[in-house]
Amino acid sequence: MNISMKFINRFVTLPADLTYDQIAYDLTMRTVEVEDVIRTADKFHDIVVGEIKEIKAHPNADALKICITDVGEDELKQIVCGGSNLTEGHKVCVSKPGAEVVWHGEGEPVLIKESKLRGEKSYGMICSPLEVYLGDIIVPKDEREIVDFTELGIECEVGQSVAEVMGLDDVILEVDNKSLSNRPDLWGHYGIARELAAIYKVPFNELSSELPEGLPEYPVVIEEPERCNRFTATKIDNVYVKESPAWMKTLITNAGMRPINALVDITNFVLLAVGSPQHAYDSTHVEGDKIIVRLAEDGEKLLLLDEKDLELTHDHLVICDTRKPLNLAGIKGGKDDSILDTTDSVILECAVFTAPGIRRTTAYFNEKTDAALRYEKGIDTQRADLGVSMALSLFKEIYPDCVISAFTDNYPVKTENAVIDITQDFLDRRLGEVLPQAEIEDILTRLGYEVSFDGETYHCITPTWRSTGDVSIHDDILGDIARLIGYEYFKKQPLKISFESSVNQVRADLARKLREYLAYRCGMNEIFTYPWIDVKFINAAGIDTSRSIRLATPPAPELGYLRSSLIPGMLEAVDKNSRYFDEFSIFEAAQVFEKGEYRPSTEEEVLPVHHNLLSGVFAGKNATELFFKVKGVIEGLAGYCHCESLDFAQKDKPSWADDKVWLNIKSGKKVIGSIGLVSVPALAESGIKMINAAAFEFDTDGLKPYPSRTNEFVHLPQYPLVEQDLSLLVDESVTWAEIRDAIKYMVKDLRFVEEYRGKQIPAGKKSVMLSLKIGNDDSTMTSKQIEKKMNGIIKVLNNKCKAELR
Amino acid sequence: MLEKLEQIRREGFESIAAAPDREKLEMVRKELTGKKSSLQEVLKSLGSLDADMRKSVGMKANEVKNQFAEKIREKEEELIANASVVEGEIDLTLPGIEVPKGALHPITQMCYDLNDAFRSLGFEIYSEDDISSEKFAFDNLNFAADHPARASMDTYWLEGTEDKRGNERLCLRPHLTGGSVRYLLEHGAPARFVYPGRVYRNETTDARHERAFFQYEALIVDKDISFSSGRVMIETILEKVFGRKVNVRMREGFFPFTEPGYEIDMECLLCGGKGCKACNHAGWIEVMPGGVIHPNVLRAANLDPDVWTGFYTNIGLDRLVMMRYGVDDVRLFHSADLRFLKQFK
Repeated sequence: MNISMKFINRFVTLPADLTYDQIAYDLTMRTVEVEDVIRTADKFHDIVVGEIKEIKAHPNADALKICITDVGEDELKQIVCGGSNLTEGHKVCVSKPGAEVVWHGEGEPVLIKESKLRGEKSYGMICSPLEVYLGDIIVPKDEREIVDFTELGIECEVGQSVAEVMGLDDVILEVDNKSLSNRPDLWGHYGIARELAAIYKVPFNELSSELPEGLPEYPVVIEEPERCNRFTATKIDNVYVKESPAWMKTLITNAGMRPINALVDITNFVLLAVGSPQHAYDSTHVEGDKIIVRLAEDGEKLLLLDEKDLELTHDHLVICDTRKPLNLAGIKGGKDDSILDTTDSVILECAVFTAPGIRRTTAYFNEKTDAALRYEKGIDTQRADLGVSMALSLFKEIYPDCVISAFTDNYPVKTENAVIDITQDFLDRRLGEVLPQAEIEDILTRLGYEVSFDGETYHCITPTWRSTGDVSIHDDILGDIARLIGYEYFKKQPLKISFESSVNQVRADLARKLREYLAYRCGMNEIFTYPWIDVKFINAAGIDTSRSIRLATPPAPELGYLRSSLIPGMLEAVDKNSRYFDEFSIFEAAQVFEKGEYRPSTEEEVLPVHHNLLSGVFAGKNATELFFKVKGVIEGLAGYCHCESLDFAQKDKPSWADDKVWLNIKSGKKVIGSIGLVSVPALAESGIKMINAAAFEFDTDGLKPYPSRTNEFVHLPQYPLVEQDLSLLVDESVTWAEIRDAIKYMVKDLRFVEEYRGKQIPAGKKSVMLSLKIGNDDSTMTSKQIEKKMNGIIKVLNNKCKAELR
Repeated sequence: MLEKLEQIRREGFESIAAAPDREKLEMVRKELTGKKSSLQEVLKSLGSLDADMRKSVGMKANEVKNQFAEKIREKEEELIANASVVEGEIDLTLPGIEVPKGALHPITQMCYDLNDAFRSLGFEIYSEDDISSEKFAFDNLNFAADHPARASMDTYWLEGTEDKRGNERLCLRPHLTGGSVRYLLEHGAPARFVYPGRVYRNETTDARHERAFFQYEALIVDKDISFSSGRVMIETILEKVFGRKVNVRMREGFFPFTEPGYEIDMECLLCGGKGCKACNHAGWIEVMPGGVIHPNVLRAANLDPDVWTGFYTNIGLDRLVMMRYGVDDVRLFHSADLRFLKQFK
């Protein structure tokens, strides 16, 4: 919303030494966010009043004249001009060199320079209203008509700034509408002025709320009092369409609306002033001389002012005459009831519609009008008093001969003042300091509260304009006091520290260690993907969606499923990154969802089942190597993250994995996830080419964190260990696990070195090289003992694994 | 004989001086003083000389032998002092051997920085699940029944629940604040905890708007605390995040779940508060809303608002991270693009 300071000054006199930047700052800190301060005079620089002293013919062009003009400088200036209404002795609008004007009121501003026109020197430019941003206020009859201040009867002096002459030397505060959303009273200059008066502790000029008396009634029926709390109708005769006075057009322009004609401008001016929307009907169009406020019939039609054809439903409130809907209540006027050039009598509506219905209808038709914006915040019914009173006084001022011939105030629901008690004790505790009674009463009174104090409690009668939901509990009053004093003026108070639950947080620590392990130990990059996932990658991963959750309105049709696994997102990320990298590794920790029953907080709330998953991928060329990298990551995880160690088994193949290369991850006896190579079909369906991927995915809730680090100290061996390498020849079917398990109880240490298949190895066999350490606990091994032990080991390997030495 | 010794000495000195390394020098030592050396031969032949001659040749030979030892020792010291471990040329500008270079997501990094700061202030870390109900996401938080945020234009409702109400209408949580009531229902008051996480809004995306983004919310609930304590907390936190003191200001703001509510601005770090393009010439940047917990929210958590009070702070992590690194497109955070993510060490 644009706040015009000239408008504000009608309601409050602010201290003279106050800068506009300061006002913007104070409003921002205490009331609403001011996003920008715009000085409207800026664009009028070097545009001044000049007086035409003499008009001469142009020797080379019939359409142009040479005007000898006084622009308030030492000498008279020669200006070439093609204006149709140039008159000697008249005051006009002159753009001097350096001014910026808009050619015919269109396009980017153009810089004025001294120049020659058809061979004659021209100092500057005598301008039409369109060229100097005055098109809305001074409407030219033809394109060549220039601004003639003398003709218009506008008082001014030679050399004076045109912005000043026209009242356009205003300052506009651009207020963020979002910050106004809970303050319906601030949707007009009057409300902002009241806040400023309270902030600077200066008097506030209350407006009259007097209504017409003793007039005949104009029939108004409200069928839906819950939707329309009040409807006033005033019939005003003996009016006609004309331009508004310049001061009004200027204020309307400055506040961001466009002047239309005096009848419409009065309603807009009142809206801008007190935030009370109004509507003027041409009374000849109200058939049956009766207004009915009712819900529309389903399918009923209404043609709006802007030719938009609405098909209404039974939820839409309309203002009707006895035959047809006239307009969409509180939102927009209809084409049929609008003010015409022939209008000579109007019905002025000043009504109060309730917020929820306006909000629904506005959203339904996407009609965010100035009136709707205000109604949907919740307007007090008393605001109509201000609206009617101000409108009628403007009618009397602008149309001295008008006749107010009828008035109705149909007023089924009245906004009640919220009455709230707030104790001194509560204020002291929550503000963190003790404020004097006089100060509290002063602040609240300036904001419109009626306050009485009994030594303990402030009894506050909230003004109606704050009683439509904004202020309802004592905390709201606390808020008003705190903000008016200014949050920045409260003493900072240190926080009482208590260390109870913050120190030992095993689960939070585990979650962090897992990520840090993967990033900093394993060299992986953490990624985030969206929870809604492209069905292409879900299908590629072979994931069954029968237990998946869907969004009602997904970001795109193919993104309807919420993920039940992180693997599809991984596939998508691999696909994307494989365009730029041959080798990379990524991981993601996130929640996934499936149908089921889960009650995190209360019995009544049943949510789908959530799983906290961690997934990662190594992508590159050598599939086998990638798989063992992933396996190594899982094997090393427990040690770094201080949880019970993980194990592998083959129980349940994940849908995305290669038939041969996969393992389940076990924590204790429980399967918590899987590792494996991404299958060829999964890669192909994901569009991943030229690259392999090994993945893991597991449920981190299946990990069992230790309460602390638990590795134990082991004494260093007292006697030296003997290291021996063995190279075995075994059948292809013999696994490392079989070899390891056969002899692990006989050795101090056992390490796999390498597997080998080649020319020297017979078909169906492989060579396995291992390294082991043996030793006695109570003595150094003798060579005899070593020989005996090694023979024993080889014998066991031979028995259990049919292994032979190479 | 003496002349021969003289020749042995001269030639010996020459070969010692010429030895290029310690290996060669060792060979020279063997040649000059070993059993088969010319000097040894001279010494062996002493017996065949007359007494005078034997004496003078013997003395001379010993002298030469000692001189050789001395020279070789000197040469060895010289060679050690000038030796290099590496033979031949080495290009020291070649890159080092790479260590694995992984990284946490920049948002996770920021989140952990904040966790460290908040834990040092005694906060517990809590997390709420991604899916919530209208009851917890809106009703408990004092949102009006027809609040626009409840519409499907704003919130992602789950299919099949979108036309229900309260506990039965489920959504991807639109903010973290619902989690505050969950925690308080479970743990009661006093409480002080943070609950970082991802939230979801049905929005049109652009460089500044995302459908999934991260928040970091903190809540203190206690007796008799004043909102002015909140400012100290916020200053402490921002100092941790940006590594230096950051000025903040609190101003009027409105949120359904707070009363009073405020916006917290921090001084623009690019211009130091003077006003620049980044801060829209205001000198201040809005970083987090906050406020005193609304009595209706306390009631929803079964707490008596006459006894308990507290304040919220909600930090938009995406925005803070964008400010920390100068990132200009919020959508990069969910891009999974390693060209972006690898920049954050």
